[in-house]
Amino acid sequence: MSPESLSLELEPGGTPSDATSEFLNRMGRLPGGERILACIQCGMCTGLCPLGYAMDFGPRKMISALRAGRIDDLYRSESLWLCVACFNCTLRCPVGVPLSDRLIAGMRVDLLERGVGVPPELQAAFERTFRYGNPFGESPKKRDAWTKGAGVDVPVLHEGDSAEVLWWVGCFASYNKRNQRDTIALARILRALGVDFGILGPDERCSGDIPCSAMGEEGLFGDLYRHNSGQLAKRKFKEILVGDPHAFNAFNKEYRRLGTPLDVHHYTQFLAERAPELERRMKKPITALVTYHDACCLGRRNGEYDAPRTLLETIPGVRLVEMPRNRENALCCGGGGGANWLDSYIWQRVRVPLPMQRVQEAAKTGAQILAVSCPLEIPRFEDAIKTSGLERRLQVREVSHMLAEAMGLVEGG
Amino acid sequence: MKIAVILRQVPDVVEELVIAESGRSLAEDEVTYITNEADEHALEQALILKARHGAKVSVLSVGGDEARDALATATAKGAEDAILVPMPFENRGDNHHLAALLTPEMKSAGYDLILTGLSAADQRDAGLAGLLAARLFLPYVGGLICVTLDPSGSVATVRKEFPGGRLGVLEVALPAVLGIQSAEQPPRYVPVSKVSQAKKALQPKVLSVPAPSVAGLPIQRLLKPEAAGKAEMVPGDVEQIADWIVRLLRERGIV
Repeated sequence: MSPESLSLELEPGGTPSDATSEFLNRMGRLPGGERILACIQCGMCTGLCPLGYAMDFGPRKMISALRAGRIDDLYRSESLWLCVACFNCTLRCPVGVPLSDRLIAGMRVDLLERGVGVPPELQAAFERTFRYGNPFGESPKKRDAWTKGAGVDVPVLHEGDSAEVLWWVGCFASYNKRNQRDTIALARILRALGVDFGILGPDERCSGDIPCSAMGEEGLFGDLYRHNSGQLAKRKFKEILVGDPHAFNAFNKEYRRLGTPLDVHHYTQFLAERAPELERRMKKPITALVTYHDACCLGRRNGEYDAPRTLLETIPGVRLVEMPRNRENALCCGGGGGANWLDSYIWQRVRVPLPMQRVQEAAKTGAQILAVSCPLEIPRFEDAIKTSGLERRLQVREVSHMLAEAMGLVEGG
Repeated sequence: MKIAVILRQVPDVVEELVIAESGRSLAEDEVTYITNEADEHALEQALILKARHGAKVSVLSVGGDEARDALATATAKGAEDAILVPMPFENRGDNHHLAALLTPEMKSAGYDLILTGLSAADQRDAGLAGLLAARLFLPYVGGLICVTLDPSGSVATVRKEFPGGRLGVLEVALPAVLGIQSAEQPPRYVPVSKVSQAKKALQPKVLSVPAPSVAGLPIQRLLKPEAAGKAEMVPGDVEQIADWIVRLLRERGIV
């Protein structure tokens, strides 16, 4: 369907506001956006949504309101800020409506552009990302400060430099003290495997996926995209390795769409291809029952479920157990999109925060370790474990850190 | 109703501050600037007054590209006029200097209200608004958390915070200069796309003002604060830490 032919079929008595038509036309110009009006109102999306029960307008009802030309009702609703971009609705929609990427993200663009405003927590993340290139408001010059404690050489690629693999470290992995342990673990694994790699250092900025694209800050995403794609173009590399599934999603989907095709791999995919070699290098067992949490951006959004499990199976002593909701049915940690910066906003409006639900599910399997492959999940689940009183029963660990421990490259725990 | 807001550019302390070789200023190449936080609140308060009373908001900043960017962001938020006073790094002075610099423009433009942040991050004397008021022979009140205007436009009612949790409600005859501590609501967000458009479209009125000769405090030497003793982190579990505290208290003769 061409954008020109996109028209609104009104429900009886409905009059479309100009804003409704403008929104639908704008969606029609984006890939898949025209599908919004293909909705059959089955309600699968709202039923599946982990926070649908707390929304006055679930995704189905949002589309119903748009059909009635009542976009203003959605501007007044708080539901738009409850979406955690877990992608459940989009994956299951029987007619393929891109609910997360178009309906929700698009409506958030409207909220911002029309000055309806954003919750203050998220505003701070936007402002910091724009100014400093990371949502924490840390100095961009200190982005590679973690390399000093890495114990192995982590080369920064400057303009004109080349390496086989460009490692996109990401904001959490670069700045968050707890995540830095896992970043160092990955650096040591790459070094041990003899991978020719380098990082962008201070020239790297937020990929834009977490706080921007899903949250409707298109201008900010564009700004980050222009900076990052420009910096990438100044270095020579064959593939790009990312630690954060959100960055993986941004490069795999959005950067490609905007004209920067990259051969991108999440670190679990990169290492899973080298699983036999990893297995040969294993030095000590991690004797534990382990359950793996599928990151939404790696699993549902990009179809990678096996690589992290393959890696865990290379570790001697690890016995894998699945949570009832696993792979494409996995429950979101609640931090996707920019929801990591909306915790208090969302938690005031829901019964049990998603990360608390998830760690309870993990504990019920009897697992001692909740293995993850997304840096956000480390602080999110560790906090949830403390508030759920599961501290002595369950530990959250990045897959990379477990591998490095078993390879004798880092201390355990 | 014409409102002027002064947006001071102050060093951003997210980046490490580096002292120049002369020892009398920061190193120019190492400084990144940010709009003074209290001045952002002054702008927000002005935009609130604009929405309430239809006031026209002019923003004014002194400096280089950073001042231009601050003006663009302010126009994206809703300010009508932007005034840029280009000023090379070596000629930037303190609040006395700034007040002297801005007085002619403030006098000739005939603003009803001049708002600025109470204090600036690079100077703790909370001086600009008061100094400006003195030079303009206008009333001044600072430390404000709310400003409302009389329908006649001749009086402002302001709320001022006093120590000890006391709040004062004062009336000020206009024109006046006000020092804002915080706006009635946090500074608003403006999407990056609008800031980018505003940067492209910005055509500020450029004021080339000669640096005024003001007797101020000459800087002899800048020093970084020296760390005194370091905190000691006590390792171990609760029992071990408790033992450690008891031992320390005994050693010092406290118990």
